[in-house]
Amino acid sequence: MTGAGRRLVAGAAALALLVGCSQAGARRAEPAPAATSQPPEPTVPGVDVARGFRSARGYRATPAPVRLEIPKIGVASSLIPLGRAADGTVEVPPWKVAGWYARGPRPGDPGSAVILGHVDSTGGPAVFFRLRELRRGDRIEVRRADGSRVRFVVQRTAQYDKRRFPTDEVYYPTLTPALRLVTCGGEFDYTSGHYRSNIIVFARLGT
Amino acid sequence: MRSRTGLVVLVMLALGAAACDSNTANRSSSPPTTQASGHPAEHQGAAPATTPKELAAELEQYFAQHTLIAVRQMRSVLTATPDYRKAADAELQEYTEELGQVVAAAYGDAQGDRFKQIWQRGITDFSSYADAVAANDASAKQQARAALLADADAYGSWLAEASNGRAKASDAATVMRTHVEQLMAQADAYAAHDYAKAYQVEREAYEHMFTAGTSLAKASLAPKAAAAIDAPAEKLRAAFAMLLGEHMQLVIDTQRATFAGAPEFKAAAAQVNANTTALTKGMGAIVGPKKATEFEDAWAEHVEGLLDYSTAVASNDEAAKTAARQEMRGYGARLALYLSDVVRNEVPLEPLTNALGEHDQHLVDQVNAYAEKRYGEAQETEIHGYEQMLGVANTLVAAIQKTVKPQLPVGGSQTGGGGTANRRR
Repeated sequence: MTGAGRRLVAGAAALALLVGCSQAGARRAEPAPAATSQPPEPTVPGVDVARGFRSARGYRATPAPVRLEIPKIGVASSLIPLGRAADGTVEVPPWKVAGWYARGPRPGDPGSAVILGHVDSTGGPAVFFRLRELRRGDRIEVRRADGSRVRFVVQRTAQYDKRRFPTDEVYYPTLTPALRLVTCGGEFDYTSGHYRSNIIVFARLGT
Repeated sequence: MRSRTGLVVLVMLALGAAACDSNTANRSSSPPTTQASGHPAEHQGAAPATTPKELAAELEQYFAQHTLIAVRQMRSVLTATPDYRKAADAELQEYTEELGQVVAAAYGDAQGDRFKQIWQRGITDFSSYADAVAANDASAKQQARAALLADADAYGSWLAEASNGRAKASDAATVMRTHVEQLMAQADAYAAHDYAKAYQVEREAYEHMFTAGTSLAKASLAPKAAAAIDAPAEKLRAAFAMLLGEHMQLVIDTQRATFAGAPEFKAAAAQVNANTTALTKGMGAIVGPKKATEFEDAWAEHVEGLLDYSTAVASNDEAAKTAARQEMRGYGARLALYLSDVVRNEVPLEPLTNALGEHDQHLVDQVNAYAEKRYGEAQETEIHGYEQMLGVANTLVAAIQKTVKPQLPVGGSQTGGGGTANRRR
């Protein structure tokens, strides 16, 4: 358990002792201790229904994405979850499949979901070889583990020098559902064995 | 003049933690009153916005709050509640004056005066529209509608000129036409007892004008300065402030709807729940699904405590009121603990607990005043409470940003092997 987690548990326990009050989800099961056993007759018309009010509960995590399809550039790939590498970058998937950054938002949730794929391997084209061809209005579809689909529409495609990668534009939290597709592009540096730039597709939720 | 910005409250929140305890403990069921008037004390004028972000926060707050006062004023006409209408009319006048000053600070005095004239005309025309709906006078309704659309177009022309063309007249007019249509639609729905639609459109209108406030701020700035408002961190602040401020306002709606009847209560409560769901999803984007569920539980208790209290007030049940206040203190403490944990103590627990307690107190005070038909006081408390809530939102988001930033991935990805490099060049 993390330090923060311990604080939460310890604090919650202390709080329960201090206030001696109800627990989450159970509060409506019993009458409030100080309330009269028979409430007075309603004096205004909304009281009865107000007494039955229940706040929204039942948040469920959106199912994980399992497949990516981009008809315009012939992409139809399964998706694997990616974590963080030791150097702080996102792990990269194998050549032939795309991967989604599993510590960020899931596609369709508020925030920017990020999917990475290789432009090529050492021997030839890889899953995002044609990513740079995407233009405004092109369609992207993500299928989730429960069979549901979420669609996105490309807003723009841009190339960035890796030394000036727009971290905030790609990863910073937002409450607007969005999708970012990332691969390599630009000049290839034969000394380092890496491309010098990244190609990033920015997409918004579509229909 | 009241404070113009939640940012001031934000600073007070951080600095005034120790004082909060005694303030809360000593507060009666009414907001603080001035000796002379017996009305709720009004804030002193805040310093003008000095940064693009402050300007955006001020205009978002003013536009959003104005929308809700106007909605409630129109409904007071439809329900023939002249005392409430009188209080709302006075508030709209004061708000227009203050908004005019904020606009003048951003666009210059002459443009501020022109803005105020257009805004004032709009308020009058909204009132006329509500009168026409209440009287079921189709001709007067049509006349007011035409006048309101003309006001929207006048706003578009004004902004295009005031911003030296940075905003297009047609775009700005479209934004204001949407606002006008929304306020008319909610009044029509309310009059037809279609409360579900009335409250849904009200929420949409609030959100629309919140973002219209952002646009108005941006149009006053040179592109480089305006870019600060478009930065991801600032967008996150605005989005959370909008939702947390909306929570405050929708709880007020729902508390008051208890006095209006079951159908209206259900409609208002549905919007509170929609806001809670949106907030939970938003938290999920930052803290992940597990902690989002914890948030939803803590938030649900908070909301239920507030509505338990207003139900007790409406029932004239003193014992239930006392029980609800006790519940609220427990729920507030739990919520503060959760939030403090999420931001890893960037905001210490005690001031956060006090700030949430103050938020609760505003909602308790406003419903007490409303139940006793002290509408001016209810409204003034509502406005204080909204400002305070935005301050809490800004503080929380600032802390969330400090927590989140170091956890973001660093730099670009190495997603190429070079096997097609020659083909690609």
